[in-house]
Amino acid sequence: MTTAKKRFLFSFGLIVIAYLFIMVFPFFWIFITSFKSSGEIFGSGAFNVIPDNPTFANYVTVLFEKGIIKAIFNSLIVASTTTVYVIIVATFCAYAISRFTFKGKSILLGLILAVSMFPQMVITGPVYNLFYELGWLNSYMIVLPYSTITLPMAVWILVTHFNQIPLALEESATIDGASRVQTLTRIVFPLAAPGVFTTAIITFIAAWNEFLLTITMNSESSYHTVPVAISFLRTQFSILWGEVAAATAVVTIPTLIIVLVFQKQIVSGLTSGGVKE
Amino acid sequence: MKQKPGFTGWLYIVPTIALIAVFSLWPVVQSMTYTLFDYKLNDPQKSGLYLNERFNTNLFNETALYVSLFLEEDLANIDEPNDQKAVEDAITNIDELAAVYEDKTDVIKISSEERDRIEGLHEQTADLVANLNNTYALTHGENLPLLVDDFKNSIIPSNFTGLSAYKDALGDARIQTALWNTIIFTTVSVGIEFVLGLGLALILNKAIFGQGFVRTTSLIPWAIPTAVAAMMWSYLYDGSSGIVAHFFENIGFVAQSQDLLLSGTGAMVSTILADVWKTTPYMALLLLAGLQNIPKTLYEAASIDGAGKIKSFFRVTLPLLKTSILVALLFRTLDAFRVFDLIYVLTGGGPGGATETMSIYAYKLMFGQTNFGYGSVVVMLMFGCVAIIAIIFVRLLGTNLLDRN
Amino acid sequence: MTIKNWKKGFWLLSIIFVLVLAACSGDNGNGDNNANAGNDDGDGKETERVTIKFGAQNDNTPATEQLIAAFNDSQDDYTVEWDPLTNDSAQMHDQLLNSLTSGSSEYDVLSLDVVWAGEFAGAGFLEPIDVLMKDAEYSKDQFNAGSMASGNYKGKQYTLPFFPDLGLLYYRSDIVSEEDAAMLDSGDYTYEDLFNMAETYTGEADTKYGFLYQSKQYEGLTVNVNEFTSAFANIDTGLEMMHQFTAADFSPDDLLNYTEGETHTNFEQGNAVFARNWPYQFGRINGQEDGVTITTDQVGIAPLPNGGSVGGWLLGINKNSEHIDGAWAFIEFAAGEAGQKIMATEGGYLPGFNTLLDDADVKDANIMLSYDGFKNALSNTIARPVSPDYNKVSDEIMINAHKYLSSGEGLEDAVSGIESILPE
Repeated sequence: MTTAKKRFLFSFGLIVIAYLFIMVFPFFWIFITSFKSSGEIFGSGAFNVIPDNPTFANYVTVLFEKGIIKAIFNSLIVASTTTVYVIIVATFCAYAISRFTFKGKSILLGLILAVSMFPQMVITGPVYNLFYELGWLNSYMIVLPYSTITLPMAVWILVTHFNQIPLALEESATIDGASRVQTLTRIVFPLAAPGVFTTAIITFIAAWNEFLLTITMNSESSYHTVPVAISFLRTQFSILWGEVAAATAVVTIPTLIIVLVFQKQIVSGLTSGGVKE
Repeated sequence: MKQKPGFTGWLYIVPTIALIAVFSLWPVVQSMTYTLFDYKLNDPQKSGLYLNERFNTNLFNETALYVSLFLEEDLANIDEPNDQKAVEDAITNIDELAAVYEDKTDVIKISSEERDRIEGLHEQTADLVANLNNTYALTHGENLPLLVDDFKNSIIPSNFTGLSAYKDALGDARIQTALWNTIIFTTVSVGIEFVLGLGLALILNKAIFGQGFVRTTSLIPWAIPTAVAAMMWSYLYDGSSGIVAHFFENIGFVAQSQDLLLSGTGAMVSTILADVWKTTPYMALLLLAGLQNIPKTLYEAASIDGAGKIKSFFRVTLPLLKTSILVALLFRTLDAFRVFDLIYVLTGGGPGGATETMSIYAYKLMFGQTNFGYGSVVVMLMFGCVAIIAIIFVRLLGTNLLDRN
Repeated sequence: MTIKNWKKGFWLLSIIFVLVLAACSGDNGNGDNNANAGNDDGDGKETERVTIKFGAQNDNTPATEQLIAAFNDSQDDYTVEWDPLTNDSAQMHDQLLNSLTSGSSEYDVLSLDVVWAGEFAGAGFLEPIDVLMKDAEYSKDQFNAGSMASGNYKGKQYTLPFFPDLGLLYYRSDIVSEEDAAMLDSGDYTYEDLFNMAETYTGEADTKYGFLYQSKQYEGLTVNVNEFTSAFANIDTGLEMMHQFTAADFSPDDLLNYTEGETHTNFEQGNAVFARNWPYQFGRINGQEDGVTITTDQVGIAPLPNGGSVGGWLLGINKNSEHIDGAWAFIEFAAGEAGQKIMATEGGYLPGFNTLLDDADVKDANIMLSYDGFKNALSNTIARPVSPDYNKVSDEIMINAHKYLSSGEGLEDAVSGIESILPE
């Protein structure tokens, strides 16, 4: 290795580390805050990196009194359900758009895109009315309106990925007697794996982050998801920062695990999908 | 070998269409309808969509009950026999008419005779109350005229306004400011996110040491729910105890740490920074997926042709990444244009409206002031702007999107 | 693909929209007002007791829970159920609005911020209670006057107090001289006097700040403008005074970003001589909560110069409730002597039922009630404007005030802006 190249690698590494530090620092600081007592969160102790009197009290309260575990459980249920059904629905739709010729195809794409141009607040009222009439308030049916924030993006991203997969492979499969659905599940889907898993992560996180629909439809605390449960960590006049910090730290762990699992799939998708143009 | 879909083929898209129609299209169409009406919840005469005149029996019945109750209570304060009789007659009148609508609830149509009778009742009672108020000190003297007015208010005129609300909106200075703020926020934040996100995607795409670690940690900001991230940042930006505000003051980025959220520019910069922090990983992820679809052989071919790293980036990577870039930019722009949580929590649109975006203003109109008519107009204007942006992007995407190769 | 085709998506949207519009000209515009389309979950269980749903915010004290338990034990007809809503009042407002607009009977009894009552009553969401009050032999003067006035719209009473609140001046009795303390307690002083005192005392006993109050652009700013301007009687002098405080050496640099949270943190850590806050701050100091470094012996309470704004929460009945009798039975209990006593003794809330202010148990549980300065403050309250458009009014007030306070320029614009939006 030449010295120039070494120097380049070294500075490149430095940039990456600096970037990661900046990106992670706010979270790191919240992590530190979670061990502080509320007297140290504001005032002279606010800038201490190591708390004077480290405490686990915030974690104890959040885990055992404020029901954050139940909220994580609820979030996992709604986010994974949403991911699974949205990916299935979107895959079929995107495949049809990518592989079939039919009139109104661009109208369909335009319509899907157009509905994601409206702020969510106009969705909540009518969906509330619908859920009220159907008796679906305070239930896991909330995953259905989640489609409004996840489905358009999922379809569009999948269409672009399906478009990059060569037709020739499918043609030979069809000649071998495979049905449409078989071609889709055995050939197109695996080839598009990086795209599909990226879409899955995006859908999962979007559902995990959703706040407005959940707090409106599921006012009962037994159906609260993570963002809603964290928003309850306050009194009438102020936010309980210590508890918010502890809860943020706790709820980030499961998402990181999910991301880790999915991103392995992206990598493996890359290696196994060696058949590229 | 593209085919026509056939019957089973159509089944592929039905679920998507059904979900979109029920949970997105229908609500949106309802909002569009609101824009044509002066639809305000806090005014009983405007709290529905009324193309024609209607009669609010609930309000009428309640008013009849209250007016006769209050008049009865005030009988004790009236000593002239004539006036006493007039009051008693009025009560009988009211009770008689109220009996007609006793069993009705909700808003109904009425004939013009009925309407005349109700208006007549309003006039008579209003005159009587005015006379009594001139002569006597009534217990309910102040409230009765207000109550009697509700007889008239139970007749609901049409609140159909057609397109006039759009005309008002075009001249609304607050909308102009909000639009400008939204455009600045969107362009700057999406611009920065794109540059950083592309850089991050290129790094993640390289097989470097500790790749899994780098990938996972770089995704942390995005995995924190927006509503929570916004709360986090409001603590980090806090003028006296916020570490980020403190740091900015120390490096001279702002003169005083509290300026960060208290000056117009400072507040805008703060919200953009928080947004960049939160969504750069997402941008990177979208671009990374695109990068992985680029065949390695193309780079090999480029390097055989003698192209350096930078040259092959512009010759190979960028052109092949075009679709992914445009789709990522498209969705990020749509998201940024609708930004809400972050600004709502960090600044509430302040200071003095300097960070009020279109969705913050629409939210304040609709939920704060229950003015769903005008609030929906703001939403539609927003939609118009976003649609123009989307059309530009799709034009750029051109054939890449639908037809392969 | 051609762009023209793509645009058809938008055209399709417009066509559906026209169709819906045509459907709207049918009978009943909105079509959502089905009074009977109820949610029968509660009734299906074949129990004799009717379930009453209580839509109230989360309570960090055990008071609300005990209030409900006491009511459920007190009679055999109704069971009140409560699933706490958020403590974020703006979010709760939106949630209730969504529910009430749809004509839902999801909640029978509602807890309302004092400033929502006019809006909700104007919208026809609430059942008036005058007749019910008469039958229960309640008269208006038995309850906290400010709360009752907030729940009265166009002559009809819609609510009874859940718990009242009012703005108070907190001062450090260990710093302020006895003479000045007596003057503060009497309420016979002005904001100028307060300014001078803040200047004199700041720095003693390690204090950094003079007078703290809420000045961020949010509802709290409207409350403080209300107090500084004597309920908008003297807008220009009031705003000028506020700016004088904002710019003073003894004020924190980020006073314009202060909410109640910053105020109580700094006051209870001993950083400030004076602070304007609600009664809850006293509860924090009395309970020596985490981070509190001063004790109640060091704290005095006084009326604000022009009187304190009325805050707090009210109880009202959802007009679409299928159990209005049960809803009223609960309100009658909760706002009455027994219910308010539970709220006051278990949660430290200010009782909305007047005779309880002299009740020995209540006074024991809440020593603040025995302070002379607090008693004077109670008799000297001012209301925020009552209007069905309250949110809009408040929004304009805070934007105009914050703009002026942060720049120190444009007083006249701010005054005329505020004047133009106030209801007569």
